[in-house]
Amino acid sequence: MFRLSASRVWQLSHKLTAPLGARANSGTSPAPEKIEVFVDDQPVYVDPGTTVLQACAQVGIEIPRFCYHDRLSVAGNCRMCLVEVEKSVKPVAACAMPVMKGWRIKPNSEMSRKAREGVMEFLLMNHPLDCPICDQGGECDLQDQSMAFGSDRSRFVDNQFTGKRAVQDKNVGPLIKTIMTRCIHCTRCIRFASEIAGVDDLGTTGRGGSMEVGTYIEKMFASELSGNIIDLCPVGALTSKPYAFTSRPWETRKTESVDILDASASSNIVVSTRGGEVMRILPRLHEDINEEWISDKTRFAYDGLKRQRLTVPMVKSEEGNLVPSDWQEALQKVAIQLNTVDGSEIAAIAGGLADAEALVSLKDFLNRLGSETLCTEEVFPMDASGTDLRSNYLLNTSISGVEEADLVLLVGTNPRFEAPLFNARLRKNWIHNDLEVAMVGSKVDLTFDYEHLGDSVDILQELASGKHPFSQKLSSAKRPMVVVGSGALQREDGAAIHSALTSISQKLRAGSDSSDWKVLNVLHRVASQVAALDLGYQAGVDAIRANPPKVLYLLGADEGTITREDLPADCFIVYQGHHGDAGAIMRMSVLPGAAYTEKDATYINTEGRAQQTKLAVSPPGYAREDWKIIRALSEVSGQTLPYDDIRDLMHRLTQVSPNLTRYGEVEEANFFAQAHSLAQLVKTKFSKDPLTPKQTTLKDFYMTDSISRASRTMAKCIQAVSKK
Amino acid sequence: MSLPTQAARAAAVAKVVQPIMSRNAEEARRRVIQLYKAWWREMPITVQEYQLDISAKQGRQKIKELFMKNAHIKDIKVIDMLVIKGKQDLEETIHIWKQRTHLMRYFYEPPNKPPTDFLSGFYAGKR
Amino acid sequence: MLTSNPRYFAGIIFGVVWYFEFATNIAQARQLRNFHGSPAVASEQLVVHKDTPENNPNTPFEFSQENMKRVKDIIAIYPIGHEAAAVIPVLDLAQRQEGWVSLTAMNKVAEILQMPKMRVYEVATFYTMFNREPVGKYHVQICTTTPCMLRGSDGIKDTLIRKLGIKVGETTKDKLFTLSEVECLGACVNAPMVQINDFYYEDLEVKDMDEILDDLKAGKKPKPGPRNGRFASEPLGGLTSLTRTPKPPEFGVRDDL
Repeated sequence: MFRLSASRVWQLSHKLTAPLGARANSGTSPAPEKIEVFVDDQPVYVDPGTTVLQACAQVGIEIPRFCYHDRLSVAGNCRMCLVEVEKSVKPVAACAMPVMKGWRIKPNSEMSRKAREGVMEFLLMNHPLDCPICDQGGECDLQDQSMAFGSDRSRFVDNQFTGKRAVQDKNVGPLIKTIMTRCIHCTRCIRFASEIAGVDDLGTTGRGGSMEVGTYIEKMFASELSGNIIDLCPVGALTSKPYAFTSRPWETRKTESVDILDASASSNIVVSTRGGEVMRILPRLHEDINEEWISDKTRFAYDGLKRQRLTVPMVKSEEGNLVPSDWQEALQKVAIQLNTVDGSEIAAIAGGLADAEALVSLKDFLNRLGSETLCTEEVFPMDASGTDLRSNYLLNTSISGVEEADLVLLVGTNPRFEAPLFNARLRKNWIHNDLEVAMVGSKVDLTFDYEHLGDSVDILQELASGKHPFSQKLSSAKRPMVVVGSGALQREDGAAIHSALTSISQKLRAGSDSSDWKVLNVLHRVASQVAALDLGYQAGVDAIRANPPKVLYLLGADEGTITREDLPADCFIVYQGHHGDAGAIMRMSVLPGAAYTEKDATYINTEGRAQQTKLAVSPPGYAREDWKIIRALSEVSGQTLPYDDIRDLMHRLTQVSPNLTRYGEVEEANFFAQAHSLAQLVKTKFSKDPLTPKQTTLKDFYMTDSISRASRTMAKCIQAVSKK
Repeated sequence: MSLPTQAARAAAVAKVVQPIMSRNAEEARRRVIQLYKAWWREMPITVQEYQLDISAKQGRQKIKELFMKNAHIKDIKVIDMLVIKGKQDLEETIHIWKQRTHLMRYFYEPPNKPPTDFLSGFYAGKR
Repeated sequence: MLTSNPRYFAGIIFGVVWYFEFATNIAQARQLRNFHGSPAVASEQLVVHKDTPENNPNTPFEFSQENMKRVKDIIAIYPIGHEAAAVIPVLDLAQRQEGWVSLTAMNKVAEILQMPKMRVYEVATFYTMFNREPVGKYHVQICTTTPCMLRGSDGIKDTLIRKLGIKVGETTKDKLFTLSEVECLGACVNAPMVQINDFYYEDLEVKDMDEILDDLKAGKKPKPGPRNGRFASEPLGGLTSLTRTPKPPEFGVRDDL
């Protein structure tokens, strides 16, 4: 925060004049005139304040760089971007130098070329020649740029055998491997830690030839976004510890997919596979969701996909043990059970990682059997309009919409661990636009300052009635956001909280400066919830508790919300999913499904955006894609579902809810006024318990679902964090 | 030249063409049996020379099967042609001009047709 | 015996000399300019922290009440929101209090100035005048940069090493003296010189150094400054310029003005 607090103060003085939502560095005057510069004698018009590097990029000339990064502050310390500018005696650092009118930039001149070669020579002088054993090999900026811009011969002659500069490696936790001798001091990792992650653990110690990047004291880089510094590092100084020495980038097949582990944001990812095995997961650019970052759980929990997997169908033997079986037998056993009981005695619970295809086919199937009891494991208040109106359960403002907000009220949530990338957006806005944040709930570290209003629910009532001192600020906000964690709504008084927030939001909506500005936001913690609610699942398992079924179908429901004690002794439980997780013993029959890297499946994230995961590897053993299992089961039990392939199924999805197949788009919700008037009917009383999110510290972040619970890397993280 | 004329000429040529080897069915049959016996005798040597993972009995079984596949052919010229091809094959085999895979190809059994209905496809893991 | 033949030796020597000349000529002709990496410099202090019995996260440190007041005064100099700017003076204050800056002292400074600890570590490791390891009561810093070296700093250094019985970078057993070798301290005109804590001792000869050390050991406070009778950096043999009194202001001005 050291580097940023200064800029914040600077902004405070400029805040009143800056237009809302504008970047701090953009001018306050009306659209400034463009200035003309020449790149290689090619005229280009740019805004004042554009750097030489950006001006060159506009005509498609890429200047080599190491320290410069679009999303980080400019450091200008690698000197790789030196270019000649006419009438300038020395070459200028393109990343940091703003252009002046009429400048003639010569990025390909002899001087530029020599400057680059010189810088490259100095960098390589103290860089070890260990590319063959370096994990960055093949995707290394230094390799690529020394090929493209370096000299073709070396003058490095170590006559005295004094050796190159050597730096001690640092231990920054179980995720990041450091080989500090390779470091070229670009300081990208330091700037990322300080600006994006908000954890000022990294820095430079020492000076001159003995400068080192590190933590000074030995400590873990304790951030939920720490893995991103691996991608940022232009050399092999920071590499992935779990991925170390496992594969080379040119050996792997890349599948562009979507993540489902980082709660509900659904970051876009690239799954690298080799020989039917997921080798690693990297982020994929999506400006509206994850920019180019992903959380550590997304990045490192993939080893959970290889452990504790269900690979064969299993049925309960006469001795009462689960024994491996084949699909025919397993499906027949389940079908017999389904057919012997009445439709009303069948129920299903969908877990947090279920995809829309499986959800819709399960619903169709059970409906055909005569059952209406389809629940989600994740609770959501069903009172008043409940889940009937989409606006009640979406992050209506959308994740990128955070950047336009000027005030955020967080209720009973810890976005840092529940949705790390949402929190990164909040922090970004907090830094650049002086966002104001207030919190009702437990005091947690969000990596930025906020006003803590307390953790009692009564505050919400006071806010709703305008009696609270903070109400003044709330009502004067032009673009306020109210973000409630789905955890807060799962309390007994969830409906009351939701209703209170609906009325606060409705009031604030009237005060906002834009008629389509949405205030109420629900931040979900699991990936399947929005799709399940869109498809008409009931939220929460109360219906099952009230009316215990004879056959219970668990679709990846692993959180243990329903235990054996809640069910009658003769209840037949079918579990379909990919991990043998919580309470695997209580199941009578296990049908192995596919994880998110093993199927083409639709997920709707918390803002209502439909996205598709892609099949990167085939499911292990006899595991099958989830919707196919249900489709096969439907045929075995004589209620054949009318879709044979994914295209038919998508058609069905579109029939039920067209937004489910409009991939990449956010389907906005509305009817706020109606939701508000219906919310007045809620009669639930507030409880006295303080609002406490489930994940309060970094330790709680790593293991939240069946995949990350099976991950060894995540276990190591928890161990490392607890030791700290 | 018009097409019917061409066809007529071809037919005329076919009529006067000489037999390939055999003048009658008996002779053709003898040649077939000669070839069959030659293969029969060669089989144990082939199995050994090529280090095939089959027994000589299995090989002879296959020879019988392949000969019997053409049992329905009555045209002498076709039979002769097949005998010539069979001899060529035998010669190539004896001189080890072939490789193991060429011989084992006779034992290749095409896989079953992929199932078309959903359920059997599901069980087979094909869908 | 072949090896005892003087002509043979002469031949070898001639050959070697010829070879060197030849090689030099070639290098000049092609204008080869070889360079190699900076040699591994043995720094006086590590730039990473290692827990030691004297210096670890549990080392007690607290600003004295008096110094706490000073800290407040220092912070008050800087505008609100820029408290972090006070990091160097506050660290210096911590060093003056303890003689060195422990890890806990840095943590305390970070806490007072509300800045991340790492940013304080960065500052403290950057400036070599912050001692991050305990030093003796007298921190003797001898300059051995060119001007001092030309004026005999090597002799001074030898004296120190001999008299204190320690090597450069070490502390005497009685925790009285720490000896470090530093680069230019900006007193070249009074070379050779040493800095002992806050004081410069200049124009030293070996006997001066002996005397200073004896005084310090005896608990006396030797007079800082030049030791050869100069007041400051004026020429030793009296002024060589500006010897006359300056002319009055009206000098050379027309009478009618």
